[in-house]
Amino acid sequence: MIAEDRLSAVFGALADPTRRAILARLADGDATVTELAEPFPISLPAISRHLKVLEHAGLISRSRSGQWRSSTLEAAPLKEATDWMERYRVFWDASFDRLDAHLRRIQRERAAERRAKQAQRDAEPAQEHS
Amino acid sequence: MTAETTYELAISRVFDAPRELVYQAFVDPDQLAQWFGPVGFTVPRETVAIDARAGGYQRFVMISADDPSLRSPIDATFTAVIENELLVGEQEVLGIPGFEGVAKMTLRLEFHDEPGGKTRLELRQGPYSQQLEADAREGWNSSFSKLDALLAGRA
Repeated sequence: MIAEDRLSAVFGALADPTRRAILARLADGDATVTELAEPFPISLPAISRHLKVLEHAGLISRSRSGQWRSSTLEAAPLKEATDWMERYRVFWDASFDRLDAHLRRIQRERAAERRAKQAQRDAEPAQEHS
Repeated sequence: MTAETTYELAISRVFDAPRELVYQAFVDPDQLAQWFGPVGFTVPRETVAIDARAGGYQRFVMISADDPSLRSPIDATFTAVIENELLVGEQEVLGIPGFEGVAKMTLRLEFHDEPGGKTRLELRQGPYSQQLEADAREGWNSSFSKLDALLAGRA
């Protein structure tokens, strides 16, 4: 389990569409800053700033080989973020099992009420038409 | 890891009840108190207060049956409400790693008719603020299709 502040950094990093696009590009393989900047109408320094955010969140790592420094996608923090959301799936699935039972119960009760009222009306036909 | 890995939770579930009834189970305090939360949690009726309209609220407390000191208060604000069709709410949540400072959880519930008098409930929940939600619409999911494939193989 990575620290919660790291997870905050991951969600914060994922909140930006350019950074998500950079991650999607890196899923195809490692790339340099110049290669990553190609599809975007923004400057190299702007791309570098996005890479710093991604690196800080642990979503990418960057090689130290000078001019051709390339970025690599790191999958583990993404999996942590997904696992965190999955806890809510377990919660809802369990709640909805109870909702299912509740809806069955309430429909049975209402059907019984309708039958009781109908029986009452059938037993008092004189008042019905008075 | 599923093929639909995202940072937004999506659940689709069909209930064997008409749409109005499923909707009411979320906005009628008497009903919500009877079913909300997994087994082992109770929602005392006196903790439930709901005002189902945009700008209204949904408040209640979930309490663990094993350990009554374990209390999980919910205090959500409705941002969009269409009777029998849609409930959108958001809540500022403590102890949830959404973002530093204010962590805002958004929950969207859509109620759809299904054949045979049934109802399909579509739930979407994400750890992001309204601004981030706007960004998300630009392709939160589509951007990740390649990542999904990668994660499926690696993580």
